[in-house]
Amino acid sequence: MTPREFFLNPADYGLPTRDELVAYRIWDNHFHGFASANPIEQYERNNFFVERMGIERSIAQEVGGTLEEPFAPYPFDAAILKILERDKDRLSGRTPIDPGFPDESCAKIEKWIRNGPCIGIKYPGTGKKAVTCSHPNNDPIMRLAVELDVHVYIHTWLKVGGKPRLPGGDNSPSESTPMDVAKLAQRFPQVAIICGHTGGDWELGVRAVRPYNNVLMEFAGSDPHSGMVDYAISELGVDRLVWGGHGPSRSYATELGKVLDADISKADRKKIFGGNLRRISASIFRKKGMKIEP
Amino acid sequence: MKPIDRRNFLKNSLLGVAAVSFADPQLLAAQTAARGAASSEAPGIIDTNVNLFDWPFRALKYRSTKALVAKLKKHRIIEAWAGSFEALLSKDMNGVNARLAAECREHGPGFLIPFGSVNLAWPDWEEDVRRCHEVHKMPGLRIYPGYQPFDLDHPGMESLVKMTSEHGLILQVVFGMEDPRVHHPIINVGPVTFGPLLKAVRGIPNAKVQLLHFSGSGQGEDLSQFMAQSNTSMDISRLEGNGAVGRMIGSAQGLPSAHVPVDRIVFGSHAPYFPVETAILKLIESPLDVQQLQAIMRGNARRLLPRTR
Repeated sequence: MTPREFFLNPADYGLPTRDELVAYRIWDNHFHGFASANPIEQYERNNFFVERMGIERSIAQEVGGTLEEPFAPYPFDAAILKILERDKDRLSGRTPIDPGFPDESCAKIEKWIRNGPCIGIKYPGTGKKAVTCSHPNNDPIMRLAVELDVHVYIHTWLKVGGKPRLPGGDNSPSESTPMDVAKLAQRFPQVAIICGHTGGDWELGVRAVRPYNNVLMEFAGSDPHSGMVDYAISELGVDRLVWGGHGPSRSYATELGKVLDADISKADRKKIFGGNLRRISASIFRKKGMKIEP
Repeated sequence: MKPIDRRNFLKNSLLGVAAVSFADPQLLAAQTAARGAASSEAPGIIDTNVNLFDWPFRALKYRSTKALVAKLKKHRIIEAWAGSFEALLSKDMNGVNARLAAECREHGPGFLIPFGSVNLAWPDWEEDVRRCHEVHKMPGLRIYPGYQPFDLDHPGMESLVKMTSEHGLILQVVFGMEDPRVHHPIINVGPVTFGPLLKAVRGIPNAKVQLLHFSGSGQGEDLSQFMAQSNTSMDISRLEGNGAVGRMIGSAQGLPSAHVPVDRIVFGSHAPYFPVETAILKLIESPLDVQQLQAIMRGNARRLLPRTR
């Protein structure tokens, strides 16, 4: 079966056709195509689903090293760079850093963003030290982000656990919460920050970042809860939401369903599916010599 | 080849599949794109996994049964097997089941099919099985281990499987309601272990046992052995990852598969907790042919529960 062969017409089921998905201009803010022991094979295989679901551009979360070892030499870096060049019309990348090592992080940003192809900074939740994004270590990284006019993506969760049992009590020591993001955003209001996974627990996460207009909430990598996008729009406004597929470990179906569930206009869906990400990325794309339509 | 309509869908034509496989992809895309409007001939879907009433921890968007029914019908669901969120934490299971039966009658006769619940940890649960079957005329039961304070190794489990089998009831076993990482901190939902269920169904070969909201991952041979029983099945609501439905049945090329036979997979949305859109999109995302779609959308569920009304 080819990616564009369908035996169901989505319109018959109250869903957008592939052409309508394409018209939304979907930018996948959260792509794990290279997160695998065989990253190239996985990337190429996943393109079947990228094509099938009409994704316009994917932002890979691990370009230059891995989330677990962001500074270690990675044998697939050269091959991934070639793919980034080959598929530059539909693929971009963020480079992972670790605020436990601010100097190394800044050096990596210089290499992979200022002098390389990447268009964003990725904070994983797997740092070696117990340093989250609210720690002062982050300030030189953020100052560099200001200088480069580049957005920052931060993995966040609020895993319930601990004693007393509370949301965030089961986070790993380096795993940021949306409350950490709020502290960082307050210090650096000029940096566009994406709060990953809607904070993990969207009902609490949205409220944690609400006062900080430079924080956007990402719908990706969590279960699809009916009403979650409506809620976020009511608290944050539609201009502060971005969408991610989190594939291939998550399903585009899972993630698209969140936005399609919301009672919003097509224009607002277009903002969430890609318009808002294009807005905060326009400057860095321009610096890379790539003009993107808003 | 156009996307299927109801007549062609029911024909289950091998010829149709062959024709599509040789068609020009660009032509197919153009034909699909041309069909902007919905067709009244498109085949409907049986949703085997919805719940009514209030989720205990959030006011869900489609918590009103009337609104939920309208939403499901909008997406061409033609029948929905309904459990009750009240069954998670209630002690009076008879009241839970009576309200569920009445709600289905009032808001979706012939559309909402009530699946009552029993709680093995509460006394006299056998009487609740009898009442669901004889008083409320329910075709099946749904249990929520973990929320209901027992695991599948409970001593009553084999008896429950036996009783439901003797009454011709479908037994739906729910493997979770939400990501444990976002549970309300006041609750500590127990684990649900799959192995004992396999043991329980082995001795009762005709038992109709369905896994709901089951990820399918990490069960290895146990899942294959479970699906080798004659009337076992699972819904798609918890299947995750690009092409997950196709991967489960082995139709997604190059991806590891659990090789669950397609005749054991049924549609389930987990609405109104999950958007119903998500489950339908899984059918579109996965590379599934006409026969596979027919089986998952309706055929397998109808085989489990023939329409008698």
